[in-house]
Amino acid sequence: MGVRASARKVWKVLENRPLVRSTIAIASLLALAGLLLASLAEVKLISLGFMADNASFLLVPAITSLTATMVSFAVGIVGAIPMGLIRSFGPRLMKGGGRTALLTAPLYGGVTAYIEAIRGTPALVQIFLVAQVSGILFPGNPNIPFLGGVLALTLNTLGYQAEVFRAGFQSVSQTQIDGAKAIGMRPRQVFAHITLPQGTRLITLPLLNEWLSLFKASALLGIVAVSELNWAAGYLGNNRSHPIEAYIMVSAVYLAIIIPLGKAVGYWERRHRTPGLGTAEPTPAGRGVRPRGLTL
Amino acid sequence: MISVRNVHKWFGELHVLKGVSLDVKKGEALVIIGPSGSGKSTLLRCMNLLVSPDEGDILIDGVRVNDPKIRPEWVRQQVGMVFQSFNLFTHLTALQNVVIGLTKVKRLSSTEAERIARFELERVGLADKADAYPAQLSGGQQQRVAIGRALALNPKAVLFDEPTSALDPEYIREVLDVMTKLANEGMTMVVVTHEMGFAQNVGDRVLFMADGIVVEEGTPEEIFERPQQDRTKTFVGTILG
Ligand SMILES: Nc1ncnc2c1ncn2[C@@H]1O[C@H](COP(=O)(O)OP(=O)(O)OP(=O)(O)O)[C@@H](O)[C@H]1O
Ligand SMILES: [Mg+2]
Repeated sequence: MGVRASARKVWKVLENRPLVRSTIAIASLLALAGLLLASLAEVKLISLGFMADNASFLLVPAITSLTATMVSFAVGIVGAIPMGLIRSFGPRLMKGGGRTALLTAPLYGGVTAYIEAIRGTPALVQIFLVAQVSGILFPGNPNIPFLGGVLALTLNTLGYQAEVFRAGFQSVSQTQIDGAKAIGMRPRQVFAHITLPQGTRLITLPLLNEWLSLFKASALLGIVAVSELNWAAGYLGNNRSHPIEAYIMVSAVYLAIIIPLGKAVGYWERRHRTPGLGTAEPTPAGRGVRPRGLTL
Repeated sequence: MISVRNVHKWFGELHVLKGVSLDVKKGEALVIIGPSGSGKSTLLRCMNLLVSPDEGDILIDGVRVNDPKIRPEWVRQQVGMVFQSFNLFTHLTALQNVVIGLTKVKRLSSTEAERIARFELERVGLADKADAYPAQLSGGQQQRVAIGRALALNPKAVLFDEPTSALDPEYIREVLDVMTKLANEGMTMVVVTHEMGFAQNVGDRVLFMADGIVVEEGTPEEIFERPQQDRTKTFVGTILG
């Protein structure tokens, strides 16, 4: 049997087994990474012993990074849904005129301005700003760096998530709304039974991307004295003089969280996808997403 | 049963309906024909208040329904609608598309709703497609589900807005057959269509619209074989080929 024939055979086996495929891919990458580390150690650029000794030091910073991301993401969702609603339905309400328009206009303007401001400034600048303000308001409070950091991330993700929800609600087409009205649904029912479930399905992957981006952005909190992963890398590097090992280790922790999570959510979404209600294929590591702040 | 009295509608500067009046009798199939942009869809959408008339009245069984005191949702339960592009809910299966109106609008129990929905799917010949999503059905099948969804609410009349014009030719027949059966069962129907066979065989009356007015109205023979107005003659000439 020729090489091409056997390759085709292998592919046939793998074609409908995404889990097996991912496992093979990840295993090969791990093997490559191991090989790379071994050769770096061989030429004395890094010390594997240092990495083994200090791995456990990263546990608490990893939990801090995850906590900051999850809390701000969750609080962000709660605020972003109403903001997305105002953004998507505001223009129509304002066109109607009258009192509704008068009430909607400032809300719409405010939300739009907020989103523009968040998306138009670097996350790092927002984090510094919140850190300065909270430092002045609560001087000497030991929890302030962390709480201020979470607040800054929340304010940031709020702006991005609101746009995700806006896009989700707006992508529900007028024909769906007409269909629902024509069977006698009231506006509230149309929203609850048509717009919301369809919109939610369309935003699962964009929201996943936002979570992954936010998790990576949480690395910026190290600069304002939050002891998260990036801070831990700096600490190990400066105080123990092994910066390369430290940053390699921290990268591994980020990857160990981001890749499985992206794969798992992508897999879940494909399993639960409704035929005809499509979204783009998942971008596991938040690829193609907006650039976040700046990295040092 | 449905009366339209001197209805006007403007979209901004555009005067789309310029004083349309018509009556639909109980059990009758009224066919509306007319060139693109003449206001046929707008007229139909006025009848179930998806569009609210700017002037004039819509009466259902003698009750003026374009009245702020009457909830449009109530009117839409009396007068069902079938759209050109089907408008099935993409996130729901065929069965769920029919069930949702029964549970959420009519507030029936889910077992009762499912029983009725299965009966309606049976009626349009799609009992075996209950669990398919719209995207997994052909256009003809989707339109039949949409008809089942409208019928399930037990409306007094059903409005059809070009129900076959988005379909590939091979699927037109099955939808027209369902509509013909419905007309024979005595359903009150208003049908915008350019299917001349259907208009001639099933239509009790045909109404020709152009430019926001009713130009001429009569039996299918009168409109298709002995049109009185020049505009009707020209239009009928083009569609009969
Ligand atoms: N919601 C709307 N806003 C603005 N203009 C509209 C709206 N709906 C319809 N129109 C305009 O009103 C006119 C009549 O439209 P309508 O859809 O009622 O015509 P029609 O007879 O159904 O045409 P067709 O055969 O193409 O479906 C058209 O010029 C259309 O562009
Ligand atoms: Mg039309």
